[in-house]
Amino acid sequence: MKTVTSKALVIAVIANLSGIFMPAHSMGLRSLVALPVESGRAVVRLSYEHIENIDSNTLSTNIAYGLSAKQTFLVGLPYRLSPSGADQLGDFSALYRRTAWQQDRYNGTSRLGLLGGAIVPTQNDRDGAIQAGFVLTHVNNRHEFDVDALYQNGLGTRPDSGRYDLSWQYRLLPSIRPDWGIPPELNSVLELNARWNEASGTLRQATAGLQWVTRKWVLEAGIVRNLNATENWHYLLSTRFHL
Amino acid sequence: MKQRLILLLTIALMGTAQAVFAKTLEADVHGMTCAFCVDSLERKLSAMVSVSNVRISLKYKTVRLDTEGDSPSIEAIKQTILDAGFTPINVRELAGENSNK
Repeated sequence: MKTVTSKALVIAVIANLSGIFMPAHSMGLRSLVALPVESGRAVVRLSYEHIENIDSNTLSTNIAYGLSAKQTFLVGLPYRLSPSGADQLGDFSALYRRTAWQQDRYNGTSRLGLLGGAIVPTQNDRDGAIQAGFVLTHVNNRHEFDVDALYQNGLGTRPDSGRYDLSWQYRLLPSIRPDWGIPPELNSVLELNARWNEASGTLRQATAGLQWVTRKWVLEAGIVRNLNATENWHYLLSTRFHL
Repeated sequence: MKQRLILLLTIALMGTAQAVFAKTLEADVHGMTCAFCVDSLERKLSAMVSVSNVRISLKYKTVRLDTEGDSPSIEAIKQTILDAGFTPINVRELAGENSNK
């Protein structure tokens, strides 16, 4: 049992330090969405994650820069605050996202974004990866659904890995928007997530949280439950803002 | 006395001219889904020449622009909305009013 627990924890740590990134404009807690980032502007996301049992604390910085209305450049860099020691700095993730399909409607939008990029190691003893995937967003009235999948083809000794996220967000407040103006919004978030690694298998997770969304910034918090044998908890806290 | 009269006339004329050139334009915009997402649209529209005020209705998916002087063209407004990542459906001039809905 202890071996299984250790293995799962290692997967979690590796996941956090090897290019799990949460692009700044996502509306899910952990998913990547295809919503636009203004051309020539950036959105920054700072997120903190605490993993119970192993007492791991990770701070991630993500920046989404709008190249155009349909093109976004996403970068992310995780840093493990504790336990301290070697390999605290995670690998640098760079992704290019292109909105390949978009259908805006009165009640919402549906968009498909294609992703491609690389993981650049920050330590000499680690190898990089190339990554590709997609992200699909569907918004209708108070509901938003996001689906994303990403495959990372490891170079050198780096094992292949992948992920998917299924996210549902529901606007709790305001239930009816005012005629004019942009009031803050409160959303609930439920997600199913998976992180796969060629060397260590699949880690499935469920995520629940809340988002406070204003025009200028977003504050979000959530809990993640590992659905594998370890069943340990993660706690997330993050903020996003326009630069 | 004469100078003061001319000054008053000039101010009155300027006020009248501003009232004549002031327009309110309204655009239906699809794809506006959340507060954080539409901030960029408001910023881009506010930066347009002659636009003095921008109001957004997430409820009705509408943007209203108050303009002074030479109003931006309907095509320019549509392009700005597209550049922000949204879809303009219809841009129209509200007849001689700066009204609140």
